[in-house]
Amino acid sequence: MPKPSDLLQGTLDLLILKTIARKPLHGWGIAKRIQALSGEALAVGQGSLYPALHRLENQGWICAEWEESDLGRAAKVYSLTPEGRKQLERELKTWKRLSSAVHLLIQNA
Amino acid sequence: MRISRIIKRRIHSLLHRGSADAELQREIEIHIQQLTQEAIAAGVTEPEARAIALREFGPIEQTKEKCRDTREVSWIQDLTQDIRYGLRMLRQSAGFTAVAVVTLALGIGANTAIFSIVDAVLLRSLPYHDSDQLVLVFAAPLQRPEAMLGISYRDFKECRAQNRVFSQMAGNVFHDLTLTGAGEPSIVNTGVVTPEIFPLLNATPLAGRTLLPEDGRQGAAPAAVVSEKLWRSRFGSDINLLGRSITLDMHSFTVVGILPASFRYPDGAARQDVWIPVAQDPLFGPLMGRPGTRMLAGIGRLKPGVSVTQAQAEMKTFGARLAKEFGAEDAGFTMRIEPYRQAVVGKVKAALLILLGAVGLVLLIACVNIANLLLSKGTSRGREIAVRMALGAGRARIVRQLMTESALLGLLGGVAGVLLANCAVWSLAPFLPPEVAQISSIHIGGSVLGFALLLSLAATLAFGLAPALVATPSKLQANIKEGGERTGQRGGERARNFLATAEISLAMMLLVAGGLVIRSFALVTAADPGFDAKNLTRAEVSLPQFQYSTPQQWTAFANELLGRLHAQPGLRDSALGAPLPMDRQGQAAFEFSIVGNAPLPESKSNSADYSTVSPDYFHVMRIPLLRGRLFSEQDSPSNPRVAIISETLARRYFPNEDPIGRQMKFGFPPNSNVSREIVGVVGDVRDVALRKKPGPMMYVPFAQEPLYGGEVVVRSSLSTAGVAAAISQAVHSIDKALPVTDVESFPDALGRSVSQERFRTLLLGSFSGIALVLAAVGIFGVISYSASQRRREIGIRIALGAQRRDVLRMILAQGAKLALLGLAVGAIFSFTATRLMASLLYSVSATDPLTFGAVAMVLLGVAVTACYIPARRAVRVDPMVTLRYQ
Repeated sequence: MPKPSDLLQGTLDLLILKTIARKPLHGWGIAKRIQALSGEALAVGQGSLYPALHRLENQGWICAEWEESDLGRAAKVYSLTPEGRKQLERELKTWKRLSSAVHLLIQNA
Repeated sequence: MRISRIIKRRIHSLLHRGSADAELQREIEIHIQQLTQEAIAAGVTEPEARAIALREFGPIEQTKEKCRDTREVSWIQDLTQDIRYGLRMLRQSAGFTAVAVVTLALGIGANTAIFSIVDAVLLRSLPYHDSDQLVLVFAAPLQRPEAMLGISYRDFKECRAQNRVFSQMAGNVFHDLTLTGAGEPSIVNTGVVTPEIFPLLNATPLAGRTLLPEDGRQGAAPAAVVSEKLWRSRFGSDINLLGRSITLDMHSFTVVGILPASFRYPDGAARQDVWIPVAQDPLFGPLMGRPGTRMLAGIGRLKPGVSVTQAQAEMKTFGARLAKEFGAEDAGFTMRIEPYRQAVVGKVKAALLILLGAVGLVLLIACVNIANLLLSKGTSRGREIAVRMALGAGRARIVRQLMTESALLGLLGGVAGVLLANCAVWSLAPFLPPEVAQISSIHIGGSVLGFALLLSLAATLAFGLAPALVATPSKLQANIKEGGERTGQRGGERARNFLATAEISLAMMLLVAGGLVIRSFALVTAADPGFDAKNLTRAEVSLPQFQYSTPQQWTAFANELLGRLHAQPGLRDSALGAPLPMDRQGQAAFEFSIVGNAPLPESKSNSADYSTVSPDYFHVMRIPLLRGRLFSEQDSPSNPRVAIISETLARRYFPNEDPIGRQMKFGFPPNSNVSREIVGVVGDVRDVALRKKPGPMMYVPFAQEPLYGGEVVVRSSLSTAGVAAAISQAVHSIDKALPVTDVESFPDALGRSVSQERFRTLLLGSFSGIALVLAAVGIFGVISYSASQRRREIGIRIALGAQRRDVLRMILAQGAKLALLGLAVGAIFSFTATRLMASLLYSVSATDPLTFGAVAMVLLGVAVTACYIPARRAVRVDPMVTLRYQ
């Protein structure tokens, strides 16, 4: 299994932002969702998930509130800030550009 | 919006660290519970499920630490925590802290003290604008280009008019004149200048104006500028002094301006009272028209963009042209320039830089010492560090914390060092040679404090980093397994041995340097000056020219004075000489030629130091007569001119022949062509300074070559003060208004002539002392640590029947090995480094084998002694105790 650190630097941020863009989620939910949506291909190690969440929060892209959750108790739920939404757009653009470039390269090389 | 959110959040986490940590804990706990429930759902028992969850989550504490690290204010928290923790550690091991701080204080203090002198002497900015453009202009004989001679007024005028390299050029000379008509007659130091000097040095008058070019013309109305000090002290700060006249040597001068106390030339001159144009000077004014009188020192300001080399080249061409055009006076001379700053600091620069280097070595040794202490301490803290790393602290974090501790030590040492430097500068003051700096200009100011701070931080890095890295190994498990105590022992031991060796070699370098200057100082002070300085006192009496203007008056005064001195019981042995050896104003030297010898080629000339003396002079000074006779009362102006020469002159210029009866031509201008018969040869005298080997000398009888004043020398068992009082009394009984100055005992005068040597010997000597102590402490530390680590091994050896003596020898050998290695490396470095100080040494080679050998022996002895104490302690222990203990 690839280690989480094998994820491309910055990709984790993009995945987190994209995941909570649809609806606010707690850490556990984010981990599960990334795993499920990627068809179990990507497993986010908790060792990097929480530091990443805290970093994004410190940078002001996301904010967090303790609220009742589907876990049956209060959990720290993360949601996108307006700036985070813009940041997501930027990161998506960058990602698309990068992945299509890589795609091209692989096809033509 | 985003920024404010970020700031709010950071302040929040800074203020509510505890709640932020609790939230983090809760968040992670929820995640683990979810993992647990998943496992239970898969059909495992609850405790097992919990274990699986924990395993899957990974190292909780490390994750938490990473999350904390994302709060970017964490460094503030970390820093305050580190400082608090560091202070606690330093307090806990107070002994270690004290040793380290004292060591550092010595190193930083010595550096700061020397730097404050360097700052005051070498780095200070000169008080003139664009001072790098200022150069001294002077003449030099072709065969002695290092000599700085004055230029004649004619040559000065030629140079000022024709050069293309100076934007301005001025001439100056300083001498004393007598100020009368304003209270008691007094001696004023007078700057005799060409008026360009004021704009050249951008002098702005306090009131009135400075001298103008018109004032410098011959026949202009005499004008003078007075100093603020004279204006305040003699004229009661009366602004109406402007336009009034003052009397200098019976000549009247109109005061046109007052110069502020801040203006001085040369910078650092002790006393300057009056400035007058050369043309009006009672002494030199009349000599202006004589092209052979080299009376002016020149100063020029280079045009922008003109380099010193360019200017020097032009002056060389110019000098050659003068020599061709005015062969009578200027043949055999060239013109030279020297940057003003270099002329002011040049002589002491090398010595100061060497001192700075030496003191840098002291600090380096101090750092090595502390690094060694920290290394041993870091090793014994291995377990603590291993546990903290296991609990999630990153290596960088721990290194940062150890460095904070070091920085605290460094700053404590720095503060103590600055205090120490302050005391040191004060206690060094009496030893500071006057030509190095005015003590008042040395102070611990901003740049010095900055230097000290920089040193403390650099020292912190130097002694803190390596131990911190060694103390935080990358392999954790081994540390915990070894119980911490022997953690990093192998790497640590190698590092410690290296440091001890380095310390010994650094100490060796310093000790060799110290040893060399001490030896050379001992040789200088033991040098025979050629006369007996004991019980000898000197005093200067100078006659104002306006009162005593003829040679007959000078001779009459001298005879009268000596007569009155001889009449007093304690002062029977007194004589007159001008100049005396070690004169503050330097020695007089004249060219001479030997009658009957083939004339020298034009570019060559012989010169010797010159002194005019009363008949008793040689007897009073106890300068031995080697051949012929001494002067007597018969050598009067009406009898043939005679001279006595020194042994060196006789040997050098009259090889294999008897100089007695031969004639030489020399004399004080304008008598430079008078023939004098050599009547005697006396012993050599060191007249310039003790370190200067005696050169050729010629003496003439005062009665035949009188001067308007001279120096009285008295051999008496009375105290210097008593002799001084008696001389003053005798002088004042002849003329109340005559000042007696520069009273000094001859041993003091000799001491003054070696003040620079004494100063650097004192400093280098104490630096090597400090180095020796630090090196001893260093090797003591290494050996005691290693001996305590080997207690178990020693116990086993003794239990198995080894003799204590053998064990002792084993430990001593370990120390001796380090010391010998250090000595070898140190000897190689010293061999290269001491060459740099060859110019400071007197009749000792920079690679003097005796000094090297002695230093090596001393260091080896000290090192082995330092090892002996821990070695003895190690073999004294009861083997059973050590074996049981471990």
